[in-house]
Amino acid sequence: MRILLIDNNDSFTRNLEHLLVSTCSNASVQVLPYSELTRIPQAELVVISPGPGAPCDYPGYGPLLDSGVPVLGVCLGMQIINEHFGGETARHPHRMHGKTDRIHWRGRDWTVARYHSLRCSCVAKELCVEAELPDSTPMILSHENRPLLGLQFHPESFMTTYGTELTRHALHAILSD
Amino acid sequence: MRCTQSFPIDSSRFDALAANLLRNRDADMLASPPGWEGESRSLIGIDPTAELLVRPETAAQTIKDFAFAEPGPVLGFLSYTYGLGLRGVPSKKDSDFPAGHLKRYALIVTHDHATQRMTVSGPGESSVREIQKAAEAVAPIAFPRPNGLYGRVRASLSRKAYMDGVRRTLEHIRDGWTYQLNLSLKLSRHCPDLDPLALFLYLRNRHPAPFYGWFTSGALRVLSASPERFLKLDDGQVLSQPIKGTMRAETPAPELVQRLTASPKEDAELSMIVDLIRNDISADCEYGSVRVPRHKAVFHVDRLLQMHSDVTGTLRRDRDCLDLLLNAFPGGSITGCPKQSSMRIIDELEPHARDVYCGSLLAIHGPRDMDSSIAIRTAVFDTRSGMLDTWAGSGIVVDSDPESEYLETMAKAEKFLFPDEEPQ
Repeated sequence: MRILLIDNNDSFTRNLEHLLVSTCSNASVQVLPYSELTRIPQAELVVISPGPGAPCDYPGYGPLLDSGVPVLGVCLGMQIINEHFGGETARHPHRMHGKTDRIHWRGRDWTVARYHSLRCSCVAKELCVEAELPDSTPMILSHENRPLLGLQFHPESFMTTYGTELTRHALHAILSD
Repeated sequence: MRCTQSFPIDSSRFDALAANLLRNRDADMLASPPGWEGESRSLIGIDPTAELLVRPETAAQTIKDFAFAEPGPVLGFLSYTYGLGLRGVPSKKDSDFPAGHLKRYALIVTHDHATQRMTVSGPGESSVREIQKAAEAVAPIAFPRPNGLYGRVRASLSRKAYMDGVRRTLEHIRDGWTYQLNLSLKLSRHCPDLDPLALFLYLRNRHPAPFYGWFTSGALRVLSASPERFLKLDDGQVLSQPIKGTMRAETPAPELVQRLTASPKEDAELSMIVDLIRNDISADCEYGSVRVPRHKAVFHVDRLLQMHSDVTGTLRRDRDCLDLLLNAFPGGSITGCPKQSSMRIIDELEPHARDVYCGSLLAIHGPRDMDSSIAIRTAVFDTRSGMLDTWAGSGIVVDSDPESEYLETMAKAEKFLFPDEEPQ
C-alpha cells in the first residue's frame, strides 16, 4: 500500500513513518514536507502529521480532504480536518505535553500520549466524536460519510501502549469503505 | 608503517601523562575520567596531520570525505551554529566562532581505566616508543584549583530578562509553537591570568563526568565537562542517552531519586525528548528497530540528580554515522520540541550565540562507529582576549516556574564559574 505522510515541520513524523510500516506489512511510506504539498497526491492513504502552531498556519489541505482519498490526521492533522469542515480550534485550558491519559474507544480503554496546547473547541457538524476526555476534549473524530479520521493523541509515541493495534483499528475504519 | 603498542599504566599515572601531552604536545582529548561507571575510555590525539575547519556552508559530503578518507579516529566538534543551518533556521547572530573543527592525528593514545591499559598507535616505532618512555617516566601529580578565576561575571540575560524569556516561552507553549524549549544564557568572565588547561585538569580530576573534552581550535580552547552522550554508533548499533529532569542534591539519596522520578513535570520533560530522539534517529534506522530499553534512570553529577533514558536502533545498511549525526543534529535535549520551531524561538529569545555550547564533541572511528557528547557544561577560553565564556540552560515546559528555571540554570553554570566555592 502506498502511503503518503505529509510532514508539518514536526519532530514526530519519522516515528509515525515507522509506526505505519509496522502496522501495515505491505506499506511503502513516502514523507512529503508540507511546503511541497501542491497537488492532490497519488496515494492509497494520506497521513497528516502533527506540527507546531494551529490549522490556520497550514492552508492548502482543502482539495486533498475533498478528494475522496482516505486521510488520517494526527494531532494538528485532526484539527486541520475539523477546521476544513467548519469546526474551530482554541487554546486548551489544561494543555498537556508528554503525558498520558486513558480514552475509551471501540469497546476498550487505551492509554495514549498527549502533546497539545490547542484542541477542537467546536466540532464540525459532519464529524462524529468517537472518543473524548471527561473535560469534553475530542480525542477521536471521524467523518460521517468520508474516509477521514482524526486522532488528537499520538499513536506513534512510546508512551502510547498499544500504538500499532490502535493504528490498525484507525486504518481499518477509513480503508474498509 | 603504522605501529601499535599496548602496555599497562594505572589511572593516576595516565592522568599525569595526559596532562603532559596536553601541555607540551598541544594534544586534544576526549575523556571519561575514573569515577564514572560504564564509561572508562580516554582518547588523545597528538600531531594533527589533517584538519577540517567547518563553515556554516560546508556540505555534509565534505565532512564525510574528510572523516572517512583514512581509517583511525577523527576528533573534534560541531557547533550549534552548524545545526542552525542544517535545520534551516536563519540566524543573524554575529559570531566568529568556528561552525566546527575536525582533526586527524599522527599519534593516537587510548586508555581504559577499567583495564588500566594504554594503547599507542603512530606512524613508526620511534614515535610510539617516545610516548611509551614518557609514560614510564611519569609520576602521579596533583591537580590544584587554578588561580586566575576572578573578575565580574557578565550574563547575556539578567535574572529578570531570563525569567521574562521563560514567560515568553510559556506563551509560545500555550499557542502550540513548542511543547518544551531549552532556554540558555551566556556567562562571560575576563580571566587574563587563567591557565585554561589547569582548570580543565582540575575539574576532570575533581568532578567526574562521563564526557570530558579538551580541544584546541586556533586561539580558542574548548573545555567540556559534559555528563550527556548524544549518539554512539557501535558497528551500526545506535545508542542515544538524552538527559532531562534535574534536581539539586548534594548526595544521591534514594528518597530524592524517588522524588525526581515521581515528578510528573520531570517525567514529561524526559518523555518528550525521548520521542524526539526516536524520531531523529528513525530517519536512518531500520524499520522496527528503534526502542527505549531504559527510561528514567537517575545519576548524580555536579551536585545534581539527572534523569536519562536509552534510545536504541539499528543503522540502515545504506547510511553512515554522519548521516545519523547530521539528521539528528543538534541534540533534541538542548533544542526542545518540535525541533525546528523551538530553534526559531530560541534564536529570537537568546541574545547570544551558542557557539560550541549545545553542539557536540565527536570521535569518529569509521562509517559505522562513532561517539559524541552534547556540549553542555562547556566553556571556551580565548587565549587572545583572556575571556572565559560558558553557557547554561534549562528545559522550559508548560508547568515551569520562571524563578526555579533561573536557579536551575545558574546551578549548572557553577562548575566553570565558581568551582568548589559558594556561588556569588
